[in-house]
Amino acid sequence: MKIKDDQHMKWFRLIAFVVIIAASIACLFPFLLIISASVTKNEAIIRDGYNLIPTVFSLEGYQTVFRFPQQVLQAYGVTVLTTVVGTTLGLFFMTMAGYVLQRRDFKYRNFFSFMIYFTTLFGGGLVPWYILMTKYLNLTDTITVLIFPGLMTPFLIILMKNFIRSAVPDEVVESAKIDGANDFTIYSRIVLHLSMPGIATVGLFLALQYWNDWFTSSLFINDVTLYQLQYYLYNVINAMSFVAQMGAGTGVSLGDMPTESTKMAMAIIVTGPILFLYPFIQRYFVKGLTIGAVKG
Amino acid sequence: MPKKHGLLRELVTNRIMFLMLLPTLIFFIINSYTPMVGIYYAFTQFDFNTSLFNSQFVGLKNFEFLWKSGVLMKLTLNTIGYNLAFILLGNVLAIALAILLSELKTQWFKKLTQSIMFLPYFVSFVILSVIVYNVFNYESGFLNTLLAKFSAEPVDVYNTPWVWVFLIILFYLWKNLGYSMVIYLATITGISEEYYEAAKIDGANIFQRIWYITVPMLKTTFVMLLLFALGSIMKGQFDLFYQLVGNNGMLYDTTDILDTYVYRSLKVTFDIGMSTAAGLYQSLFGFILIMTVNSIIKKINSDYALF
Amino acid sequence: MKKQGVKAASLLLTLMMLVAMLAACSGGGSSGNGGTAAPADPPKLTGTSEEKPDNGPAGIDTSKEVELQFYMLGDAPKDIAIIQDEINKMAKEDLNATVKFNYTSWTDWDQKYKLLLGSGQQVDLIFTAEWTQYQSYAKRGAFQPLDELVPKAAPELYEFVPKDMWEAVKIDDKIYTVPATYKEYVTNGFVWREDLREKYNLPKPVDIATFEQYLDGIKKNEPNMVPLSMNSDVKGNLMDVFRSINAKPIGATPYGIGIDYENPGEVYSYWGSEEHKQDLTTMKRWQDNGYMVKNVLAVKDTLQDQITSGKAAALLGDNPTRFNDTLIKVQAAHPDWKLAYHPFPLTNGIATPVHPIHNGFAVPASSKNAERALAFYEKMVTDKRYNLLTQYGIEGKNYEVVDGYYKMIGDGNSNGFPREGMNGWAWRNPEYMLFDKNYDGVKAIFDELDKIQVPDKFTGFAEDYSSYQAERAALEQVEKQYLFPLNAGLVGNIDEGLNTFMEKAKQAGLDKIQEEYKKQWLQYVSEQGIK
Repeated sequence: MKIKDDQHMKWFRLIAFVVIIAASIACLFPFLLIISASVTKNEAIIRDGYNLIPTVFSLEGYQTVFRFPQQVLQAYGVTVLTTVVGTTLGLFFMTMAGYVLQRRDFKYRNFFSFMIYFTTLFGGGLVPWYILMTKYLNLTDTITVLIFPGLMTPFLIILMKNFIRSAVPDEVVESAKIDGANDFTIYSRIVLHLSMPGIATVGLFLALQYWNDWFTSSLFINDVTLYQLQYYLYNVINAMSFVAQMGAGTGVSLGDMPTESTKMAMAIIVTGPILFLYPFIQRYFVKGLTIGAVKG
Repeated sequence: MPKKHGLLRELVTNRIMFLMLLPTLIFFIINSYTPMVGIYYAFTQFDFNTSLFNSQFVGLKNFEFLWKSGVLMKLTLNTIGYNLAFILLGNVLAIALAILLSELKTQWFKKLTQSIMFLPYFVSFVILSVIVYNVFNYESGFLNTLLAKFSAEPVDVYNTPWVWVFLIILFYLWKNLGYSMVIYLATITGISEEYYEAAKIDGANIFQRIWYITVPMLKTTFVMLLLFALGSIMKGQFDLFYQLVGNNGMLYDTTDILDTYVYRSLKVTFDIGMSTAAGLYQSLFGFILIMTVNSIIKKINSDYALF
Repeated sequence: MKKQGVKAASLLLTLMMLVAMLAACSGGGSSGNGGTAAPADPPKLTGTSEEKPDNGPAGIDTSKEVELQFYMLGDAPKDIAIIQDEINKMAKEDLNATVKFNYTSWTDWDQKYKLLLGSGQQVDLIFTAEWTQYQSYAKRGAFQPLDELVPKAAPELYEFVPKDMWEAVKIDDKIYTVPATYKEYVTNGFVWREDLREKYNLPKPVDIATFEQYLDGIKKNEPNMVPLSMNSDVKGNLMDVFRSINAKPIGATPYGIGIDYENPGEVYSYWGSEEHKQDLTTMKRWQDNGYMVKNVLAVKDTLQDQITSGKAAALLGDNPTRFNDTLIKVQAAHPDWKLAYHPFPLTNGIATPVHPIHNGFAVPASSKNAERALAFYEKMVTDKRYNLLTQYGIEGKNYEVVDGYYKMIGDGNSNGFPREGMNGWAWRNPEYMLFDKNYDGVKAIFDELDKIQVPDKFTGFAEDYSSYQAERAALEQVEKQYLFPLNAGLVGNIDEGLNTFMEKAKQAGLDKIQEEYKKQWLQYVSEQGIK
């Protein structure tokens, strides 16, 4: 019996390793191309295409992005700030909502779930939202506007609800209630601990959403010092391609800007920090962690 | 208990739960519900000099452009087809990878590969499209250079519409698997170790343990993601299609979706009414679909229902 | 229990913060609206304008202090805050106004432009051009008519801009934008590698026939090069340019409308015509002979990059200014290469300087300070202090004048305000303009074109597409799907391909569009007396 299981295990391991290594290579390869292209001379990319080893080495892409290093650092700062504050606040609200919405004894849970979900189906479009933000809430050029609209998404709330549902058995809640704990205490002392993998996941997704956001800046920020990193970088590229494509009539020149290598350098600059962060999140995906938390 | 006091009573007894939910409700009311008045734009002729509700009512005129080109049916089918493929393949593969990863015991390998699989998520479609061009272009693409080495005929991928059905799905999966895998990985992590121990004692091998314990535990998550995605079945993935296909009209028969169509059509028109109309079409479609599916699922097992 | 209390309290606190935040926001909203209504007016500033009547605008009331919202496309230069402060010092004194220079950036600028005008938010001055759809926005009431405002609020500016230019920007008989007076040409011309032409003894491209011979020579002699630099915009970069040298169209007319420059009263359908078929045959030949890459519809590189990197040998068309940019770039990187230029007008005689609509500033309908905005804009254009500051930055810090030429101090990386760093194309004043030395080449071309200059008869026309909006949107799709492959020479059977396209286009409502367009155009022609 034991031997047979080992054999199965062996096969399983083999399959797992092969599949995962194959998938990893598929994911890594284009990234290596990007890294290589980011240190290739722009001219060489346009002439010879992309290569795993730079044909003509050059750091011009990075130089273009860091033309005004102070602005880049500022943009990094804004992005880090909005990501940290937004994720913290958003997680707090969404874990509460998720917890309440999965409670079977909460009578209106379906109604509220639907109310939240409904917003993914219907929307008034960009214009009324823009008017709301600029005219009524007066949020143009504020940090608030970079944080507020992204605080919650229906998807993440429902995901959170689902994680809590499967991680927190009803009995645990029931027994805590009998012990006289109120709903908020149950949430903060038990539910939060039990659903760490879920919270880590939702937190990661929310943080990524803030990190990758350029659209909000694009609509509501005029002040360069409040640009988010992605938007700042987007602008570098868009300015180049705009002048090349239709600036014809305007008679302006941006001088010699390496479009392709800059694009690639930008991808690296944006991805880098998140890669360092990711291992910290992974801590929460280790089995057995939750059980320890319950008992502790 | 008199029925009309139901809500009030509920508010009092569950006041803490209501309070916990309150920030979320306020958020959605402000951020999502108030702008919904804008749906009315779909039925008016936009006017710079008066407010929305004083604008001229034009009925369904703003919807006309959707069917004028005669491609609405094709676009609808394309959009649904791609989205179904994305949802089903995406989830199944994400589940498979998550299971494989979770069973691995070598921690550093596990963490490393997991990070690597997250990498594509950061590659924007703008960048992906230039890499794809680099691989597939006719004259100097990587693929044709390789084929030439074996004296094989070069292939013209950019003029072969059917290939793109697979390429687009492939690139979608490539970019998003790392992301959706995390959801399942977290769910698996939440499954109590005791189940597995018990199964081991009962003599279940690894494949049986996966099939009889892990997979069923993932079902709720799967159904939830599926349902959620269904509502948006007429939307989404604009960048993927727009960047990879762009101006290449040769491929539109198999690669055009509603979002790209609307974008291209309205880029020259700047009309708020028409873009709202297009959005409303997508919304209604998703709404009807999700209401139907959700009510069916609710009948089968209310735990799986979205609301 | 105590702990529970703390928890509940912290929860409440959070909620209160949220509510407070919202309240603050909406409160900010109202104070923001009222904020423009001046903090305690200083006693009668109109008095100051009486004291120095030359400076102060005669006809407008400047008693209330205002902040003008100025919107320009693109990115602000790094030192914009410094310039803004300098300008505001002067504007405060001259007009009792301050200005905020806002920039849209090039990311999604067209969407933002639409939002700025469509949301009714306070915008006092905004850039206009034919490529920002000035004509159609004006027609739909997005801007305030300036006919009475300008003479009153900006009399000097009104005199400064020639009468015919005011006439030219009129839409439905009303002025909606203040045109720029600087004359330039954005007409196309062949660009090619002259060193290769000499090496292989090829003809100098002056028309399509000689250009094609040049392409052919490159194809035969330089197997690793692509003769023609092209990308996926095979309408704007290929067909429109091709037609502008191969025929004499009045402009890049939409919807396959054909109008000859010499004969503006006659409108025909270019699409589906024998002429169209001929042109597409030429494109197919170019494709078949390998003058352009096969997957041209997927190419995203810019046309100029393909030349400067040595990948391609020739450009079908580019304007003098951009040719000059490419030339400078090539000379710096590859001194042994040569680049030459032949302006189309030298061949076909249609040397049209840019239309006054091409660069302008309008006052959006939402502006509450139209008079002050125009008075301020007058300063930007006609007052040398304002103009130099907003075009070139601070003299001695950002630039210096050497032998009458503009010279940047430092380089693009260290200088926070390059030449025309505020994208001030619209408020260029020919009297104050400073040029870089290497711009002399462009001026030489302009001088040549000046000699054969003819008027732009097309750009002043404002199409009103409200009656065929749906058809127009549908046609856009059909064009991309069925005409673009034909343009790129990728369809084997041209007759068949063209028939399919025409069929689909008619389904989308081409006839209705063309008919309506024709009607409007002919009316415009007869009203304006265009011959």
